[in-house]
Amino acid sequence: MIEIDVHTRDDGIGVVVPRGRLNMVAARQLKEVLADLVGSGTSRIVVDMAETTFLDSSGLGALIGGLKSARQAGGDLRIARPVPAVTTVFELTNLDRVLRARDDVETAFDD
Amino acid sequence: MTDGRLVLSAPAVPEVLEVVHTMLAQLWARADTWDQRDRTRFELAVIEVLGNVVEHAYAHDTESGRRFDITLVADDEHVVASLADNGLPVALDLSGVALPEDELAESGRGLALATAALDDLRYERVEGRNHWTLECRRGSAG
Repeated sequence: MIEIDVHTRDDGIGVVVPRGRLNMVAARQLKEVLADLVGSGTSRIVVDMAETTFLDSSGLGALIGGLKSARQAGGDLRIARPVPAVTTVFELTNLDRVLRARDDVETAFDD
Repeated sequence: MTDGRLVLSAPAVPEVLEVVHTMLAQLWARADTWDQRDRTRFELAVIEVLGNVVEHAYAHDTESGRRFDITLVADDEHVVASLADNGLPVALDLSGVALPEDELAESGRGLALATAALDDLRYERVEGRNHWTLECRRGSAG
């Protein structure tokens, strides 16, 4: 099961925190959360993955879908603090270049 | 550890993925000397193949009540998942499975990921059932 916390910071950046496993079931929820954020005008999004314990291809698809819609809206989606199990999946798919992990949620949009 | 066989027979529905995650946690509790990277690549492959069974093998299936059986076995050097379902045949050439050329594709990575994560992935159609065998060897790059 997964819980997805969402909040928007004072600087307008949306922070999404998936807690649990991002598999096929959870990916649908994440996709909706990201679409809602971009749809409501928040196009700069950090996904804080410190408490995401598992990621599969459907979870990756949701992240990439969010990345594309954020960029289309003039923003970006960045990921922060992935655990080793999640980093392994980014490496296996060569997506570690497209979704370069940031060490910190606060500074994820500093560069 | 010398033996740790876990067996589940369940309906092929997305919600059952959580049950299989729990089974895998039980497997690792027994096979406690396996490291994180080996655990991750095996769990990923099992969930990808099972997700494929749930999503695709049944997409064109008009009958309800589809089920699958999964057996997980670990010894000191190998972990193996055997998965069987009673869905329609899968037209698949595993040797040709690749990551999508578009790196921003939102789907199409599942079996490529499973293939990359595993040391061996086999598919057979036997007596009206799809059989998948997934194997990881300890410490291998996948």
